[in-house]
Amino acid sequence: MRTNFQQWVASGSPWIWMTAGGVSLSLVMVFGLLFLIAANGLGYFWPGKVAAITVQGSADTQEVLLGEIADRETVSATRVRESGAKVPAGIDTVERFLIKVGNRDMGHPDFRWVAETEIKKIEYPPGVIVAERTEWGNFYGFLSELRDGGRPLPGASLAAKITQCMARSDALKAEIKQLERIDVGHINAGLERLRLRTRALGKIEASTARDEIAAKRESLEAEFAVLSDRLTRLRKDAQRDTLVLETSSGQFKDIPFDHLVRVFHPNAMSWAEKVVHYVQKVHEFTTDEPREANTEGGVFPAIFGTVLMVMVMSIMVTPFGVIAAIYLREYAAPGLLTSAIRIAVNNLAGVPSVVFGVFGFGFFVYFLGGSVDRLFFAAKLPAPTFGTPGLLWSAITLALLTVPVVIVSTEEGLARIPRAIREGSLALGATKAETLWRTIIPMATPAIMTGLILAIARAAGEVAPLMMVGVVKLAPSLPLDGEFPFFHLDRKFMHLGFHIYDVGFQSPNVEAARPIVYATAFLLVVIIVALNLTAVQIRNRLREKYHAADH
Amino acid sequence: MVISRTHHISQQFDRELEDIRSKVLAMGGLVEDQLTRLLDALSKRDLESAEQIAANDVKVNEMEKEIDRECSGILLRRQPAASDLRLVLAIGKIITDLERVGDEVKKVARIIMNISITAPHRIHYVGVLAMGYHVRRMLRAALDAFARMDSHAALAAALEDPEVDKELESVMRQLITYMMEDPRNIREVLDAVLAARAFERIGDHADNICESAIFLVEGKDVRHVPMEDVRLSLDARHRED
Amino acid sequence: MQQTIKDPNIEIDAPGEISGTMEEKQISHRAVPLEMPLDNVQDAMQTESFRVNNLFLYYGEKRALNGINMTIPEKQVTAFIGPSGCGKSTLLRCFNRLNELIGGVRTEGEITLKGENILAPSVNVANLRRRVGMVFQKPNPFPKSIYENVAYGLRIQGINNRRVLDRAVEQALRSAALWDEVKDRVQESATALSGGQQQRLVIARAIAIEPEVLLLDEPASALDPISTLKIEELVYELKQNYTIVIVTHNMQQAARVSDYTAFMYMGDLIEFGDTRSLFTTPRKKQTEDYITGRYG
Repeated sequence: MRTNFQQWVASGSPWIWMTAGGVSLSLVMVFGLLFLIAANGLGYFWPGKVAAITVQGSADTQEVLLGEIADRETVSATRVRESGAKVPAGIDTVERFLIKVGNRDMGHPDFRWVAETEIKKIEYPPGVIVAERTEWGNFYGFLSELRDGGRPLPGASLAAKITQCMARSDALKAEIKQLERIDVGHINAGLERLRLRTRALGKIEASTARDEIAAKRESLEAEFAVLSDRLTRLRKDAQRDTLVLETSSGQFKDIPFDHLVRVFHPNAMSWAEKVVHYVQKVHEFTTDEPREANTEGGVFPAIFGTVLMVMVMSIMVTPFGVIAAIYLREYAAPGLLTSAIRIAVNNLAGVPSVVFGVFGFGFFVYFLGGSVDRLFFAAKLPAPTFGTPGLLWSAITLALLTVPVVIVSTEEGLARIPRAIREGSLALGATKAETLWRTIIPMATPAIMTGLILAIARAAGEVAPLMMVGVVKLAPSLPLDGEFPFFHLDRKFMHLGFHIYDVGFQSPNVEAARPIVYATAFLLVVIIVALNLTAVQIRNRLREKYHAADH
Repeated sequence: MVISRTHHISQQFDRELEDIRSKVLAMGGLVEDQLTRLLDALSKRDLESAEQIAANDVKVNEMEKEIDRECSGILLRRQPAASDLRLVLAIGKIITDLERVGDEVKKVARIIMNISITAPHRIHYVGVLAMGYHVRRMLRAALDAFARMDSHAALAAALEDPEVDKELESVMRQLITYMMEDPRNIREVLDAVLAARAFERIGDHADNICESAIFLVEGKDVRHVPMEDVRLSLDARHRED
Repeated sequence: MQQTIKDPNIEIDAPGEISGTMEEKQISHRAVPLEMPLDNVQDAMQTESFRVNNLFLYYGEKRALNGINMTIPEKQVTAFIGPSGCGKSTLLRCFNRLNELIGGVRTEGEITLKGENILAPSVNVANLRRRVGMVFQKPNPFPKSIYENVAYGLRIQGINNRRVLDRAVEQALRSAALWDEVKDRVQESATALSGGQQQRLVIARAIAIEPEVLLLDEPASALDPISTLKIEELVYELKQNYTIVIVTHNMQQAARVSDYTAFMYMGDLIEFGDTRSLFTTPRKKQTEDYITGRYG
């Protein structure tokens, strides 16, 4: 006689429940992670209300703090007492607030803890202005006046005037940037080429060549002088207008407009205005360069570097992995050596990535890069070209790291192609190579794409090896620009993964950086998902096309 | 030539083949019995018996139809090959021959019914009766050869056919003499001629059965081939084996 | 080099053979002498396509073919029958050297195609396979369009002229009795065709390169009866222009489509002769037992 429980076990239901439970658990974890990152990261761009908090000082003094409430936590009263705040006896725990008060240049830290017991009142004055600056972080204050070359402007409709001044200084800044980036860059590149040519001439007395170089250099330098003069004037012009703000403690601060990124009244903004602000901030985050030791501004160079590095890596790993897999599956005679190679390839996938970093640094950067420099870029030595970490070495190192994945999945794809298809092609008089090219490899493309997807997923998330072979905290220029040869594989680059690590753990201002860490992490996830979805899409299309003898 | 004695993978097929084979033998037995009784009736001028023999022919016809149906059933269901195919084909021909033998017997039985009324012309039938016994032996030998799948026995039986033909010639000569002796006898003698003719036909059918048996066993079509050649060929084959 | 062969029945040469037949009419109107060599019964002049001389084949240590000797007549259908694993497919695959794809296969002996030894190491295998087309048990169209499937062999040979290809593709599809069914959708994927159509497409693909011989390895075993009949009809048509060698499990099929039949058992060629004789009067007990469905 079987009990109900035994019958239930025999019916197989527990097994279904167990497996379904496993799936749900992983779903919950994945979505929990995404939600945590998204919630923390996406909120960063929303304009928070600025509170004016009246705080009871230690004596009878009162202080008004102006800032955003960034965080709150409950701590033991003793801890708060020790930090100097007054807490009435008999209270064990106190809630305290973290207030982002900004105004870092006014002589105090931009974050401050305030215990609930100290607060007398909290207001949200509509006139508060938040000025995002290129230096020193946000400034919180009230509008005092607007000056045009030192002269105060008349008081009426200052808000409209601020917009005008912002537009003017933005235009000037764009012009300056254009000049610095493109024109000065051109001149510098020209000068560098001339310097190299001079060095290449060496001690040979070739006066005509030397004269020619000297003449060119002079003309470039003259051009530079003109440019630099123009730049100076533009910069001065940009500094003409200043915004004067008054802090909550009654101090005044002059802020030239060229230091301003954005000025807004968070407490007076309508919902629609906030949405516009949000979109602008997100746009800035994804398209601008970082400021303030990466804690502010955008992460565009990091996005660019990540995507570019992944692409270069894909371009390298795919042919290499596919060729290796074809050899192993189609040509290599099965035997001890082939099995040994296969085991080695599989084990390669298990080697910790940081080991690849060390290998890449030692072999690619020093050995290969050094040799390339000696052979092709001898003129630049001792300044290294490829003999230093850079995009190329990063991509190759990651290609090496991910090639086993591509090999294994390509091999599987090749193995899955029915023998009848091969024989069909061979029986028509095709050679083995023709069969491979015309039939087998096209049919294996879905598997190759699967391998590539896995490779991308792994490569885009790697940070540790990259720190040794090419990623930097702040790259002076993108690996792709208008200078010949346009695509600079030798340059160092920025990477979202490293950016997260750098901002989160190496930043001087941890509190300020925290939201940006989340935002960057979210962005990294979004990019990896986008890369994967693209590859999955391509694979599915191929699968449909080559949906051949699966049945 | 190979005739496999082992079983088919399908035992049902074995049973079906065995079934038609034994039915053919039963039909052969019936026809032989009819012939025996006919000869008996002829010698004794037994009118009643002759009537019964003529009526019995229906049974032979029924058996032919039944076996024929079973043969086509086997062809349809089993698509027999090699010896199985030859067996079915041979049976198809053998039953036709047996049925014709039955018809000839009936024909003679009718003649008996006539002569028994108009009798006494016993003398006319001496040679005819001898011929009848001869073809009966031949028929029995042919059926035996088929039953035992013995091509040599079949050949031996088939070689009797020219003898029967010679016998017919002599009987005919004799009967013509009777007719010339007394033209009033012509009608009665003609009956005897018809009977002799019928026995000769039975001999031919027995010969056909022998040929079918040889085809079944040897896989060779020996129709319209001089029997001497067939014997040479069979001997050569058996020396080879 | 072309030879007139005396008797396709090389291995078993019985002098006193009488042609056994089940059709009386055919025989009855000609006076057939008893002593009659086989070749006179069949069409008088026949040339050989393949000649197999003492062929042994080993898979590693295992012997799969034991000294096969036979001659495949030209423009006739020759069927190989026998139980699974008897070596009939292996023998078929020797004719286009497809066995070489499997590691550890070794052959001894000789197969000549029009007098030239195709097993010689110097033979260009790709060229051989252009002369000897093959169709497999399961339809194996490439995952390309119908057109590209048929044009595959020609493209391999470097023919890319659109007009030439168009003509060849249509010709091949017509020969394979598929043109009327697919002429409006030759650019569509071949994998969308039904099994029977796929098999005829594969035949079209094989004949597009105009081989001399077509090897069919159980071409209808994966098809429904109607498709099977279409394939058989096609074999009958193709016989006019090609030498056809067909391996089949289905004895009735062999009896229906072939002119000659070879029965193989355990790597031996047991009996080889014209189909009618083999199916009515086999000479060997093993053949008899196999084709009548008895225990061996």
